[in-house]
Amino acid sequence: MISLVLIESILQAVVAGLLIGSVYGLMCVGLGLIFGLMRVINFAQGEFLMLGMYVTFFFCTSLGLSTAFGPILGSLVSGVVMFGLGLAMHKTLLVKSTGIQVVGTEGEGHYPQLILTLGISLVLANGALILFGNISRTVRTPFSATAWELAIGNDFMIFFNKARTLALLVSVLVAIAVYLFVHRTRLGKSLRAAADNASAATYMGIDVERAHRISFGLGAAVTAVAGGLIASYYPFQPYIGLDFVVIMYAGVVLGGLGSVIGAFWGGLTIGLIQQVSTLFLPLQLQNAMIFLIFLLIILFRPQGLFGKNVERV
Amino acid sequence: MKLDQQPSQVKTILLLAVVYLLLAYLIDDKYYQLILTIVPIWAMMGIAWNVFSGYSGLVSFGHAAFFGIGAYTVALAMIHWHLSPWLGIPLGTLAGVIAAALVGYPTFRLRGVYFSLAMLAYPLTLLYVFEWLGYQEVTIPMKRENGPLYMQFQGQYAYIVVGILFLAIAIYVASRIHGSRFGLSLTAIKQNEAAAEAAGIDSAWWKLKAIMVSGAIAAAAGGYYAVVLIVVTPPSVFGLLASAQAMIMALFGGVATLWGPVLGALILIPLSEILHAEMGNQVHGIHGVVFGLAIIAMILYAPEGIFPRIRDAFKKRKGAVATGETHRVIQVPPVDETQARPAVSQDIALKVSNLSRSFGGLKAVSDVSFDVYRGEVLGIIGPNGAGKTTLFNLLNGFIGANEGSVQFMGKELVGLKPNQVCREGVGRTFQVVRPFPRLSVLQNVVVGAFVSQPDNDERAVAQAREALARVGMLGHENVVAGSLNSLELRLMELARVLAGRPKLLLMDETLAGLGADEVETMLAVIRRLANEGQTIVIIEHTMQAMVRLADRFVVLDHGSVLAVGKPLEVTKDPSVIEAYLGKKWMNHAKH
Amino acid sequence: MLSIEHLSASYGGLKALSDVSVRVGEGQFVAIVGPNGAGKTTLFKSISGTVTPQSGRITWLGQELTSIPPARRPHLGIAHVPEGRQVFKELTVYENLEMGAQTEKGQADWDKNLDQMYSLFPILSSRKNQLAGTLSGGEQQMVAIARGMMSSPKLIMFDEPTMGLAPKITDMIFERIEEIHSNTNVTILLVEQRVAEALSSCDHGYVLQTGRIVLEGAPSVLMEDPHVKEIYLGM
Repeated sequence: MISLVLIESILQAVVAGLLIGSVYGLMCVGLGLIFGLMRVINFAQGEFLMLGMYVTFFFCTSLGLSTAFGPILGSLVSGVVMFGLGLAMHKTLLVKSTGIQVVGTEGEGHYPQLILTLGISLVLANGALILFGNISRTVRTPFSATAWELAIGNDFMIFFNKARTLALLVSVLVAIAVYLFVHRTRLGKSLRAAADNASAATYMGIDVERAHRISFGLGAAVTAVAGGLIASYYPFQPYIGLDFVVIMYAGVVLGGLGSVIGAFWGGLTIGLIQQVSTLFLPLQLQNAMIFLIFLLIILFRPQGLFGKNVERV
Repeated sequence: MKLDQQPSQVKTILLLAVVYLLLAYLIDDKYYQLILTIVPIWAMMGIAWNVFSGYSGLVSFGHAAFFGIGAYTVALAMIHWHLSPWLGIPLGTLAGVIAAALVGYPTFRLRGVYFSLAMLAYPLTLLYVFEWLGYQEVTIPMKRENGPLYMQFQGQYAYIVVGILFLAIAIYVASRIHGSRFGLSLTAIKQNEAAAEAAGIDSAWWKLKAIMVSGAIAAAAGGYYAVVLIVVTPPSVFGLLASAQAMIMALFGGVATLWGPVLGALILIPLSEILHAEMGNQVHGIHGVVFGLAIIAMILYAPEGIFPRIRDAFKKRKGAVATGETHRVIQVPPVDETQARPAVSQDIALKVSNLSRSFGGLKAVSDVSFDVYRGEVLGIIGPNGAGKTTLFNLLNGFIGANEGSVQFMGKELVGLKPNQVCREGVGRTFQVVRPFPRLSVLQNVVVGAFVSQPDNDERAVAQAREALARVGMLGHENVVAGSLNSLELRLMELARVLAGRPKLLLMDETLAGLGADEVETMLAVIRRLANEGQTIVIIEHTMQAMVRLADRFVVLDHGSVLAVGKPLEVTKDPSVIEAYLGKKWMNHAKH
Repeated sequence: MLSIEHLSASYGGLKALSDVSVRVGEGQFVAIVGPNGAGKTTLFKSISGTVTPQSGRITWLGQELTSIPPARRPHLGIAHVPEGRQVFKELTVYENLEMGAQTEKGQADWDKNLDQMYSLFPILSSRKNQLAGTLSGGEQQMVAIARGMMSSPKLIMFDEPTMGLAPKITDMIFERIEEIHSNTNVTILLVEQRVAEALSSCDHGYVLQTGRIVLEGAPSVLMEDPHVKEIYLGM
């Protein structure tokens, strides 16, 4: 009997891991687009997530939406909003910090952008605090606290939280859409080309600065969508970005720098690890676990599972 | 000895400390006094960050790790062992040093982005570990008797004094680094790690030293933070904000400057605290917005920080310092024609045997063998892509050979790291010269002398001057390197290498891109070096110049040696002509 | 078509070109040769816009190029095959070609160009789904050349296409360039270090040395000139 309970717990944990991991995967794809296509450590990525949550929240509450699909719609809207905001941010701030050499020689272009995004992160997070206060919010829908049940044989009952399951579906769909965009469309390929070799891309007539701007906007948008999805089952406040920033980086590095789809798998894996570790680790150590894994990957296999570019001695 | 020729900072430190304490004494309000206590703590953190990341260029996002370790050491030592912070802080400092060494050793293998990300993870991991260990909120117990013995004072003022004391020590330590051999070596590593290695600087070792000093200061700051705030929680000391604040102090104030972090703390801490106090209740988060905006403004308008900006403006008003108002003349000591050049000896200085190196499937250097005689000028020539630079990189130790050996004065060089090769007496110039733009020519050059004068700073400076004289740049010694033209930069680079008194000089395309007159000057310098008996191996493309300079040529093409011999023989060699001009040329010429 | 007049430019802080004048007529194959450090790449970069000249003019089809940003120039009909191949390593061969066809004309002529390139370089077809970074040097050069041709350019510029390649591959590359010259109307500007191959294929040649044009003329004349050898070998 004990072992059956254990198996059920493991299965439940795996399911929970997949559910939450898919959203992690999506937010990592957002970061992957920025980090992979522009080699910028964007500190503000957590704030893009947070803004996605707030836009979704206000969208749903102002329209009085209380159906399960409210947050879905809201997150897509927040994606659009953040896309615009990302474009504006890049055009006004990031470009100025490095001229047109965004992918410059190692160390040169990165440094000011790094600091700049740190500043943006502080402004956004604290700005949100000023505007929205630090009350914890969620987008409550009928799906938030109910679950579908899956019976396996006579012994196991696995629960699929409805909101999270819906979030998984949307995450996977959006991730696939991003993948198709980056790999099958001409614009998407030109973004990859600009990241691969900026000077050759210029020789082909690709406006590298514009390519980076679109990548940035897209990265912001995708992470914002993930934020909106999380908002449907997880309470948030303006500083929530900090909680997820390292998860996002862990996922992107695990998946491999430069691989957008790798980022999704990386995020998914992180989610799985986190949920499975609840079975035998206390709460605080679960998060420590993620960082530990992150460190191990960076130290021993920086190219992650799918990536190729490594800056190592 | 101070290599940056600035007066001792001790007086300045004491003066400023006294001024600060006087001002603090006049302020009565307890809240403002608390702010004045916090300022030195964050100034110390800024200094800690600067000492490592500011000079070396390795951006650390994890200094909170050391800060937190210092804080918890002091707090827990008080609670469990009743150890006074007077002892607890040094203990915490030690813990910080050890932690820094443990963190640095594996993480230094990473570069750029990956390094920063790894550093990010350390304090956050510790944060969760400490929470799990049950240290969510650790309070330093009050000692009613003998308070001062436990660093507990009645009035806030005493805390300010102690804080300034610690800060003064930190600034002093930083001043011993700034402008000294330590600081210059780190700066060299930041500007161009490869060149620094080739100049004999053991970059791994210097980085480790820097992070240990940095960790020590940060831990001390953390320890005092615990004393002042009494309560230590993991997010407050290990959190991202703590690391960010350390960075911001230094960045805002001025990276790689001595006073930058102090200035940064002096401006930002009171600013944000006061805004928080005034508006904090109505406008939560103003603290962070101010910091954020300050950073954004700084990056866009004063990327090097406030302090350098002020210093520059000040200099401009004082009038141009010796940046070359008068026409600077390079005075190459003329070649004494009466003194014949010492005959090229028969001794072999460098023996290269069957050297090979492949990349993937491509043989970049293939079975290369040649000898370099002591005192000769050997030219390595060949069409572009022939493998010349790869060969130099092999000789230098930047890349490892797959096969073959390089014997220098009897010692095997293959397998040695670049700084070790330099120690053996091999110096190398680089094509791309990246000077320290804000430092003087002498400071740039003295870095090259460190390898042969590991302990004596004075002699290092003397050797640097000697090297400058040899290339005719002694008059430039105090000129700011950022204002040099390309010829002067090349000569400075050459002087840097010569400052190490190399037995063998490898020159990598020193003439590339120079105008006709400049080439003449450079040739005069090189010829004079040859006359002094210096053994030189030089890669060059400007054939016109080379044929007048080299005693012998080694011709490479597609990684292999085509011909070795005197210029006249080699340039008549059909295989050489074919390599440069093409097969069809030979065929055409035949008709 | 392309007219460079009294061009002076610096690169990397060094004066690379002084008073250089070159004319390239429609349909011509012009070669610019010179030893290393002569300024060939700087010339190339000045035409493509990544280096801003200090003085002089570059005129393309009557239009002055100086104010036109680098990313716009391919759309005017100038294709670049840069030094060192510079293929998009993480993209497939096919995708590299797609990237070459960013211009309007390139997209319109896509099918025709693709066929032409596949017959010129059969390997592109057989390896079309392979990542460009995994190809050999010679194969990458073929990808780079085809990629340039896919934009249906009026002028295609080659910057040292044989650098770092083995002799046999070098010969093959030159043959292909000659084929492009004989089979299409594309104007070719070739910058090369290896004199003989470049001169024997071209219609008109220039010799560049330390930033100046020192010789100019028909290839047969240049090949006879003893100065060329002196420029390269110093004596």
